[in-house]
Amino acid sequence: MAVGDVLEAERLVVGYAGAPVCGEVSLRIAAGEVLAVVGFNGAGKSTVVRTLAGRQDPLSGDVRIHGLPVMPDAIGFRREVAAVFDGDVFFPGLTAREHLLLVARGHALDSPDVAVDAELAFFGLTERSHAIPEALSSGQRRRLLLAAAFIRPASLLILDEPEQRLDPMMRDALTDRIRQRARAGTAVVLVTHDPRLLTKTASTCVLIDEVLAHVDTERGARIIAGA
Amino acid sequence: MRRSREVVDFTRARTRRYNRARSSVRDLFIDVYSNALAAVCVLMMAGSLIVALRDELTGRNLGGAGLVAARWQVLPAEVLWVVLTYLALVGIALIARRVGPVTVSRAQAAWWLPLPVDRRPMVLPAFRGRLVLVGVVASAAYVPFSVLTALDRSPWAHAGSAVTFGAGALLAVAGAAILQLAQGSARVFRAAVLVGLLPVAVLPFLAPSAWSLAVVLTVTGIVVAYLLPRVGDVPGAELQRGGAVSGHAAASIFLIDVNELRRALAAEPRPGTSRRGARFYARPTRRAVTAVVRADIVAFLRLQPAPVGPLMWLGISVAAALITPTLPVLLQLGVVLVAGCATAAGTGTVARRTAVLPELDALLPISLVLARCSRMLMPALSLALWMSALTGALVAVSSGPSSLILLGAIAGAGMGAGAVRAATRPHTDWTTPPVETPFGTIPRDQVSSLLRGVDMTVLSMAPILLAFYLGTVHPWLILAQTIASATAITVQASTPNPR
Repeated sequence: MAVGDVLEAERLVVGYAGAPVCGEVSLRIAAGEVLAVVGFNGAGKSTVVRTLAGRQDPLSGDVRIHGLPVMPDAIGFRREVAAVFDGDVFFPGLTAREHLLLVARGHALDSPDVAVDAELAFFGLTERSHAIPEALSSGQRRRLLLAAAFIRPASLLILDEPEQRLDPMMRDALTDRIRQRARAGTAVVLVTHDPRLLTKTASTCVLIDEVLAHVDTERGARIIAGA
Repeated sequence: MRRSREVVDFTRARTRRYNRARSSVRDLFIDVYSNALAAVCVLMMAGSLIVALRDELTGRNLGGAGLVAARWQVLPAEVLWVVLTYLALVGIALIARRVGPVTVSRAQAAWWLPLPVDRRPMVLPAFRGRLVLVGVVASAAYVPFSVLTALDRSPWAHAGSAVTFGAGALLAVAGAAILQLAQGSARVFRAAVLVGLLPVAVLPFLAPSAWSLAVVLTVTGIVVAYLLPRVGDVPGAELQRGGAVSGHAAASIFLIDVNELRRALAAEPRPGTSRRGARFYARPTRRAVTAVVRADIVAFLRLQPAPVGPLMWLGISVAAALITPTLPVLLQLGVVLVAGCATAAGTGTVARRTAVLPELDALLPISLVLARCSRMLMPALSLALWMSALTGALVAVSSGPSSLILLGAIAGAGMGAGAVRAATRPHTDWTTPPVETPFGTIPRDQVSSLLRGVDMTVLSMAPILLAFYLGTVHPWLILAQTIASATAITVQASTPNPR
């Protein structure tokens, strides 16, 4: 693992019940880089990033974060790695603001209320901040999940199709936010089907397929745009 | 630790405030009143039954006629009681392991577990509550058993036995929690828990002496003191698994859906069985019906849980017949009936799985009657085998005729139909107005839904139980058994799958 690398995966094979879902994956990402993971539906992108995030065990191969094996239950791992996946589950009795406050307090932010207000404003949820998740639209719930990932400090941010259910304006805002976060030194792993998000943010791009290949971001964008 | 507690307190306080805003004192009063009334009704009915049974046992003629010849009645009753107590403790440990017992809900998993804080305050209060609940409920549930199995004891001795058993149940749950912590060496710890519960099962029967209570309370205290500081170390994936299973099981109980409960608690197929019958299944076939039957056989072989359950019920039935002084014959028959119904329910795994998607049967290129018959085949065969083993054992130790085994095999076929009928119960219709019962308000047709399947199992067992009672097999009993089993099979084959 090179100095400065946040995440390194070596000959990683992922899948279910012993059966691989895609080819072998080897990748590395340094602080401040954005790695895009692209591929067709069912190619195994989400399985790869779930494995990188420690949500499931690899079939074989090695994943290291800051040079250490993935230990999802270790406090240090939880402090360093933030992830947003597909499902959205919330406490039924907590408002949108209270969910973010929970995360802010759990990560011991200096001014949790200020940080929460800023995230609510950025993700356009200020007016709905006192609504319970059930009363939010599908897109607003997605924004809330993204806000919870961005409010907390992390050296590695894993986003699985973050553009889902977002309107075009929010997608643009998200693009800026990812770039801003990367500039601040966070390594970002991004699964996306949005060519614009890919080309505007990604510094490296990997294509997940039966046989894995590294591609440049322009080519990755053409692949997912079907061109 | 402090930050973690803050997060938990914050979540609890906000949730409580939200819940209070949505419910009134009147709602609370109605809930408390109806639940208390139902609890009192249940306790009074259970109490009356226990008193009646105790009077029956006290007044019976010791050494009277049993299901087997008197010379075989060699098993001291205490052995059976200890075995039953041990099985109850093992059952508690296994169920506790299946549902956690250290868990988090889905929301807690999503919002609490990723936080970089100590997880102990997140899981400890719920786990502690669960321990207390298990201890109290197990103690209360043991009272009737203690009263019926030790008639000459004082109320204080019964109370001591009940508390001892409650502490044993608590130990079983604590053992299950230790298994969650010991993921790597689970097999060794599982064996240790099962062996460790054996002496605990003996202690309730020694409860009149205070030392047995002192021993079990001391051991429980030590185990709990070891466990509580470590519950935060249970892996997150394990916390989520337990939360998913316990949530599913709790929802099934709330909806009074026995099949859903069994689905929730069903173990995953063991890796060793995943390829079982692969060659048999792959063999070419010309007729669709053969392929469907073959698929059902292979599914049964792969999905069936370990044969521990059927063997355990078989052992209990035989033991109930062998104990001395003999139990009243009706009680012995009751044990056999309960064992038969429990074993039958366990054989409906494939039907329970396919019942989730009734449309699948409609897609098969054979008639629905044939599809339903195919699903009955393996439960009927396995229950015929089980009943043959039971009747064979009873014939071996009594002077009963060997034709009892034939009767058992025929009964097993009908019980298989009952098992599939139970596994394909329709879901309760919650849209119709509920009905008031002494046990509280329940959905209309709930009782008939719960009895579906059990009715045919009991019908199929009635002639053979009569043969047990008479101690002989008249030719008309074989005819009656054939008619009963054929009726059960016909009813199941002709009943459309619920949608």
